[in-house]
Amino acid sequence: MSDKQEKQVTERRPGVCVPWEEKRAEWGDLPGDEGIVKRVWEETDSLAHMYIWHLLVSF
Amino acid sequence: MVPIRPFVAEFAAKYAGYTCQEVTQDYRLAFDAACKCAAGFDWDAVVGNMVYVWAGVTQAVGLKYYGMPGVEIGPETGFQYREPSEDEAFMRVEDYEALIEDPTGYLFNVWLPRVSRDVVGMGELATFRNNMSFLKGGMAMLSYFMGFGSQAQRLREECGTASAIAGILKAPLDILGDKLRGYVGLTMDLHERPKQVLRACEALQPHLLHVALAGADPAKQVPVTIWMHRGCVPFVTPAQFNEVYWPTLKPIIEEIWRQGHQVLFYAEGQWLQHADAFLELPEGSIIYHVDRDDVFEVHKKVHHKFAISGGVPNFLLSYGKPEEVRAFCKKVIEEVAADGGYIMDASAIMQNDTSIENVRAMTEVTREYGVY
Repeated sequence: MSDKQEKQVTERRPGVCVPWEEKRAEWGDLPGDEGIVKRVWEETDSLAHMYIWHLLVSF
Repeated sequence: MVPIRPFVAEFAAKYAGYTCQEVTQDYRLAFDAACKCAAGFDWDAVVGNMVYVWAGVTQAVGLKYYGMPGVEIGPETGFQYREPSEDEAFMRVEDYEALIEDPTGYLFNVWLPRVSRDVVGMGELATFRNNMSFLKGGMAMLSYFMGFGSQAQRLREECGTASAIAGILKAPLDILGDKLRGYVGLTMDLHERPKQVLRACEALQPHLLHVALAGADPAKQVPVTIWMHRGCVPFVTPAQFNEVYWPTLKPIIEEIWRQGHQVLFYAEGQWLQHADAFLELPEGSIIYHVDRDDVFEVHKKVHHKFAISGGVPNFLLSYGKPEEVRAFCKKVIEEVAADGGYIMDASAIMQNDTSIENVRAMTEVTREYGVY
């Protein structure tokens, strides 16, 4: 991803590292249930947020 | 009864027969030590592991800022946090806007490469050690955090002891000082660029709230703990406390309370001069833990709104005589605990200089006299 594209990334809210909107843009129409894909993406993405913020706060 | 909730760190290792190195290097030994203490002393609550910084995570990530027992320091010394010099602060003064714009991105892309021996900077060639740092660090952290659930169950079932706290918070200004700019750099920034410091604290706020709530007790029975470091006078001026530290911390505490959780104000050092600010918080929203302040004065000042814990000086528990410990604790029970809302504990976390005999004296006198 270019520097410009990095700057265009949707704001990284608490709990978010790679926003769903950014990931979703990599695909066209999804043939299946987009909701479950989004939910699991966001759940695992929040683990990365937990990682860096716990390194900062707890370790 | 007056509850007893000692925050025992390397003391637990001493009691259980482990070295500081053993409990820091292997969290399962630290869990074991906490359980042995809880069972041996008949306490009401204890922290699952107060030797909280597990070397498994810090060494997997390659963190530079720790002196670990048995590695950088002797095996019988508790781990040390090593703040870099002002000109080697992990966050440079020119980084403020990047932090403010995207705190999470800044931490991953700029801060982590600086604090880790293994993580490479953006644009540099990836290395095997870089990749392993992320993989092992993440796996180690998950393994450790998941262990606390089993530990809480073990404390409950084997020792009849509650796990004392859940969730962690630090004030935005303390994060800036502790982990980013360093204390000296931060004090210069507070004079030279106070508006940027304030904006940086505001940028950190929602993330720190998120972290605190993510780890909070789902049953809402034990508090989130805020570890309060250098945000008080004389580390900062009264104006800096009133204009930066408190306005960026208070909303976090209030939101945590709105969501049904108390906060344990682990006020390390002397914070009583800021009591009027803390009294702005809703009644019952915090438990005020006493370190270097006079617990009898704290009681007079805040007890009409908040429960209190601690206030038994560590030097007394380490170097005093058991009869002196008994006398002091009895006085605390009579003058501070008499109207309820007091939890017996030392002023600060107990390390391996704490006398087992004195901790037993504190426990026994609380059981004997701490009855309503």
